[in-house]
Amino acid sequence: MNLELSHTFDEASFRHFVNGHNVVLHCHHYMSLTTRLSEDFADLGGPRVLREATEDSIRPVLDSYFAEHKVTSPADRLDLGRQYFSAMGLGRMEVSGSATEGQVTLRHSHVDEGWVQKWGAHDKPVNHVGCGFVAAMFAAAFDRPARSFQVTESASIVMGAPASVLAVRQA
Amino acid sequence: MTVMRDQVVKSLVQVEVKANEDGLMPGFNVLVNQLPTSFWNTVAERFMAIAPPDRKADMEKALVNCAYECGYHTGYGIVSSPEFQSVVMPMVTEGAKDVLRGAFAVFTAWGWAKSGVVQVRDGERMVIRAVDYYEADSGGSGLRAYMVRGVSAAFMELAYAEPYPNGMNTFSCEQTLGREVGDPHGEFVITKK
Repeated sequence: MNLELSHTFDEASFRHFVNGHNVVLHCHHYMSLTTRLSEDFADLGGPRVLREATEDSIRPVLDSYFAEHKVTSPADRLDLGRQYFSAMGLGRMEVSGSATEGQVTLRHSHVDEGWVQKWGAHDKPVNHVGCGFVAAMFAAAFDRPARSFQVTESASIVMGAPASVLAVRQA
Repeated sequence: MTVMRDQVVKSLVQVEVKANEDGLMPGFNVLVNQLPTSFWNTVAERFMAIAPPDRKADMEKALVNCAYECGYHTGYGIVSSPEFQSVVMPMVTEGAKDVLRGAFAVFTAWGWAKSGVVQVRDGERMVIRAVDYYEADSGGSGLRAYMVRGVSAAFMELAYAEPYPNGMNTFSCEQTLGREVGDPHGEFVITKK
């Protein structure tokens, strides 16, 4: 099942919409600095906040698509989530999983590769946005509420691995 | 002729932004992403919310800085891109002022803010008005167009500071009006530090 994308531009507000959701172009500098900001405020829960903000803002995008296109199969939903990840410029993923666990492999990652371009390799995983996206994707696929899945990076492109590996576990 | 914002916007909107087979969007010397505005607004709103009163100013400064660095590097990529050279530069008759007008037309075309330059004093001061910008949709309190502030200061530096990449930290931007607090438009004043 191929993801269908409908891009519209509102001539009054000059805003862009993809499948009815207001979207905006930004660059890896903005993403990298936002990610580092979360790390700088780690004592306040910055990385968690970034993950949850991602989960909560991506979920409506997926839910509305599945509702509009009447997609009910979890496998189809995961595959469409995978395609959405790429369509947003976040990288290329492979995904497998069930209602209780799963695994995502990122062959390419905007967050990691952007960080490496800007500052070079890092000594710990930084893809909080990717983890939040995957949490939203699994929760949407299996009709679960937010925070139903914990996502952790066991390998990371930013640390020099050839691919990032995200382990998904039911919370 | 000077730079006609709406004409530039309409031309640049035709430039299709699509991910490549790796799910990445290289362009303008950067990797681009296209996320929901709700993502950026939620991030900023929640970061501000977790900051205790004595660290709110640091958080605000950090949020502005994220956009500032983005605006400086991506802004340079934009103004030196073939698209900018072919669409905007033929309209440039007033030097740096017109380059700035063109940069804000791109700012508008990318969906950051429907905005324009209302006043420029060469190399000293600039006023930007934004009649619509996605940050006005964010939750929270007070003026909170952190992204518009950061990018506006960066664009002023690209026009009037030392040539890229040596012109950073020359200008700063303050927001004086905001749709998010009930004003009819956002207003941003950029001055030399």
